[in-house]
Amino acid sequence: MLKGQVVIINRLGLHARAAAQLVRLASGFQSKIKLIRTENSVIADAKSILNVLTLAASKGVKLEIEAEGEDEQAAFDAVQEIFKNGFGEL
Amino acid sequence: MKKIGGVIISHGQVANELLAAAETVVGELGHIAAVSIGWHDDVETAKNEVARAIKKVSEGNGVLLLTDMFGGTPTNISAMFLEHSDVEIITGVNLPMVIKIASQNKEMTLSEMAQAVESQGKQAIYRASELLMPQKLKKDA
Repeated sequence: MLKGQVVIINRLGLHARAAAQLVRLASGFQSKIKLIRTENSVIADAKSILNVLTLAASKGVKLEIEAEGEDEQAAFDAVQEIFKNGFGEL
Repeated sequence: MKKIGGVIISHGQVANELLAAAETVVGELGHIAAVSIGWHDDVETAKNEVARAIKKVSEGNGVLLLTDMFGGTPTNISAMFLEHSDVEIITGVNLPMVIKIASQNKEMTLSEMAQAVESQGKQAIYRASELLMPQKLKKDA
């Protein structure tokens, strides 16, 4: 299993369209991908948009990414990248 | 994979706008339709429109009718389809419920989908300050 931390850097945070973009990306991998907001222990399945939205992650919030499965490296890298890109909104 | 179809039915333009909002988030939704019933529309006309919408979105596994409010005209018109069509009605439609129907990734029965949408709709209502600003609520108490 791979683990790592990301920070939300785009102004609008993890809003509905950004979440949809993330879910589309995550759904392309076999691995289980979780996003965890440790401060209030909310865990979301990165392949479910309604789940991702419960993170209520605004700008500046730190999230843990966990990827586990055959393609975990590719999945982890791709998910980390989309956060670093601010969902293409920077 | 056959999807469960969805028809959003409301007073005024709420149904159209809910569908438009969901499509903005998740992309085009061929298996969901919206019927907005005008305040002065004739019941037969509205019923025909709902029938057309059900036919349009049906892939053979049933259709979920999402209405705005239990007891309102959209729900009462929808109820006319319960007996003879493969439909279920969930009232109190909200955006998360529409997104739930939008994102079907495995085949479900109509009854399973109806249960999932009902519970999703209820779960998606938060008093946001309880989650985001619990310290503020404590101060008010």
